[in-house]
Amino acid sequence: MSQPPDHHGPSYKLPSPPPPDPTGWFELRRKARATFWPPLPVAWAGLLALAVAAAGLHGLWFLGSLPARLPSPTDWKAVAALLARDARPGDAVVLSPAWAERAREILPDRLPSWPDVALPLLALPSYAEADEDLPGVNRIWLVSLPGAPGVSPRIARQLAARSEATEGPLQVGRLDLTRYDLRSPLLPLHSFTDRLASASIRSPGARVTRETREVDLLPRTCIVVSFPGPLPEPATLAFPAVPLGRALRGHLGFVGDVSSGAPPVSLRVKVDGLEVGRAEATAARPGWSAFQIDTARISGQPRQLTLEVVPSGPVPRGVCIDLVSLP
Amino acid sequence: MNLRIGIALAWAVGVLLVAAATSPAVGISRDESVYVEAGASYARFWGEALRSPGRVLELADRHYAWNHEHPGLAKGIFGATRAFFSSFLGWTGDVQGSRYGAFLFAALLALVLALWGFDLAGPPGGALAPALFFLVPRHFHHAHAAVLDLPVSSLWLATTYAFWRSTSASRGRLSTAGWAMATGLLLGAALATKHNAFFLPLVLLAAWLLGSIRGRQREAADHAEGGGPWAFAAMAVLGPLVLLATWPWLWHHTLPRIRDWLGYHLHHENYPWMYFGELLREPPFPVSYPFVITALTVPAAIGVAMLGGVAQAGGRIVAAWRGRATSVSLPTEWLLLLNAIVPIVLIAWPTVPHFGGVKHWMPAMPFLALLGARALVTAGRLLSPARPALVTSLLAALALAPAAWQVARVHPFGTAAWNEIAGGAPGAASMGMQRQFWGDDLVAVLPELNAHAVPGARIWFQEATTLAVKQYQRDGKLRPDLLVASGPEDADVSIWQYHQEFRDREFRTWTEFRTARPVAGAYLDEVPLVQVYARPGAWR
Repeated sequence: MSQPPDHHGPSYKLPSPPPPDPTGWFELRRKARATFWPPLPVAWAGLLALAVAAAGLHGLWFLGSLPARLPSPTDWKAVAALLARDARPGDAVVLSPAWAERAREILPDRLPSWPDVALPLLALPSYAEADEDLPGVNRIWLVSLPGAPGVSPRIARQLAARSEATEGPLQVGRLDLTRYDLRSPLLPLHSFTDRLASASIRSPGARVTRETREVDLLPRTCIVVSFPGPLPEPATLAFPAVPLGRALRGHLGFVGDVSSGAPPVSLRVKVDGLEVGRAEATAARPGWSAFQIDTARISGQPRQLTLEVVPSGPVPRGVCIDLVSLP
Repeated sequence: MNLRIGIALAWAVGVLLVAAATSPAVGISRDESVYVEAGASYARFWGEALRSPGRVLELADRHYAWNHEHPGLAKGIFGATRAFFSSFLGWTGDVQGSRYGAFLFAALLALVLALWGFDLAGPPGGALAPALFFLVPRHFHHAHAAVLDLPVSSLWLATTYAFWRSTSASRGRLSTAGWAMATGLLLGAALATKHNAFFLPLVLLAAWLLGSIRGRQREAADHAEGGGPWAFAAMAVLGPLVLLATWPWLWHHTLPRIRDWLGYHLHHENYPWMYFGELLREPPFPVSYPFVITALTVPAAIGVAMLGGVAQAGGRIVAAWRGRATSVSLPTEWLLLLNAIVPIVLIAWPTVPHFGGVKHWMPAMPFLALLGARALVTAGRLLSPARPALVTSLLAALALAPAAWQVARVHPFGTAAWNEIAGGAPGAASMGMQRQFWGDDLVAVLPELNAHAVPGARIWFQEATTLAVKQYQRDGKLRPDLLVASGPEDADVSIWQYHQEFRDREFRTWTEFRTARPVAGAYLDEVPLVQVYARPGAWR
């Protein structure tokens, strides 16, 4: 049913007049709302613009400031000169961060005053006492890049924790040089790795060498015994007239990657023909495994020490063995 | 010429010229050294097959045996440009000649990005989208090498663009059937470039199906369905035909060879890869890997724009679904969004090999660039309706300036590029990320090697292939008297390229050469990429 026509014609409703605003407060509030509570799309656009601007400005700052955070060739040469002047036998250089291995190209690898003495350069991830023995090292020179992105003070803290005195840091451009005097340096009586040439070796089918090889991704200088053949026999390394102290301290690990498996290798340590300890390398527990054998009761006189390396299958890349006798 | 075509052509020519000019500094990676020789072999096939059509199968077996684990189209184009620029004109060396084929693919990528960016967001979109892609340092690096990842990304984008045009009301000069045919042909070209294109039809199908579910949206202004099925039919028919036509290896023993080809990739070796200090060797790999690596390699401001673009596409889909945005084309949004996400998600799958930096999910990146460009243009329009170009330009400058700076800073070490969130190369090294890969950074120490190695020195090039060494020598970048050694044991000079999984080779060098002190090196922001060791007396 249709409605009857309105005889008065169409009616119009006028908008209500704006509220009185003599102070301008309502207008101000309207503008503030429009600014701070914009429509949602505009708010999102503003957020995106802010984020892009912040990221862009940060990117420019990062790239602009990066060169000033990294050492120059002159800085490296200055540190090299300092080390050449001040380092002495029993010293080692440690890098922080460990990746800063440009140092290998520039820093001295031997002591100018003692050309036969090496100045080892270590680039390891940890120097905690539980992780690294640092045999033969009395003092450590820490070369650090404090401004490099992502660098943590962890290595400096670990070194400080095992040191009795610290000198520095000396700021050399964008490099810091700090000397740490170790509290209880591990100074071996005898390094079997370094004296491999004096050993008589019986290794049918095995290869025995002194090498620096990768164990668990890190460099280890050790006696490498490799068993390439299908039915390997044990290798025997006999060291005559070895001075023994309170203990034998050693490490053992497979060379290279063993994630796809490797047969276990057993190391038997004998003194004058009697077994005093053993250690085992297994693929299930890869890494640089430490072991210690108490020799206090047989210390004093030089003795024959025999290392018997017994593989349970072929180990073509070999097993890495490091052994020292402690005073 | 209209503005749209003008912007697209300017980008294509610009990318080609810049890539050609900056290419000589880029070294030869392991895979490139193989593809360059394979391309030359394929080019010889076509020449000999035209002269002796009766021997075509025998010739295919001989010439396409090279690197038959990947199809032949892109490598064939590398071979063709090498034959033209190097052998015929004599303007370039063999590698640069091959790379002209790669530059063409990069130019195609820039062209399609500019066209689609223009279609989505007007002239600023056309100008911005290619910039957001090519100013990512790793993408800029990939625009140089005669390898397969940028070409397949390029063809993935072009196929998707043709598909979009075939389903869109704005078809231009081609009919629905024309764009559908183009979709099929381009998909075939993509399949004939690299196997990851097999996933593309699935993405297109998913986008088309999702786009046809409209929720409360009653209409879509710029979308007229009907082209989709034609494009799928074209892809189903023309795709395999183009693959077969451009890969003579499949011209006989077709099924066994296809089986071998796909089998190779289904059981691909897992190359070890550093990720947060851990050497990833075997699956399951972390799902986070491609997302994290993208976040740490795309310059942050560009990454933010891309994320904004993804959010915008998601928001538009939700709004259209709820019936609040009638002008939004749901199929377009799904097409962009799925293509921006799926290639990354595919690599995130824990059993898929994780290596090669960003290249395996690179097909997603042009779509992220498109979405980022549209987001920046939209932000400009919303924030300043009166002067949108000014705000968009300002945002573009803030997004692109640090990226351009980074490109200039890391070139030619593109595989070592990390963004400011990672802390650049030093920050990434501190985090224990992959520093670089596959041998191309060797190029940085060649001048030192040429200057200092004793005559006839035996060099262990480690990660670089013997093919790459021969190519450097042929192109005059390496002294011809230097010989290739098989390891540090028989070398006078050892070139260690930083790969954590091969670290034992560096330590073997120390043992063999009785020194741990390099004689030269290449560094990016102090991070060692390459270090050269020499026996006493082998370095003058």
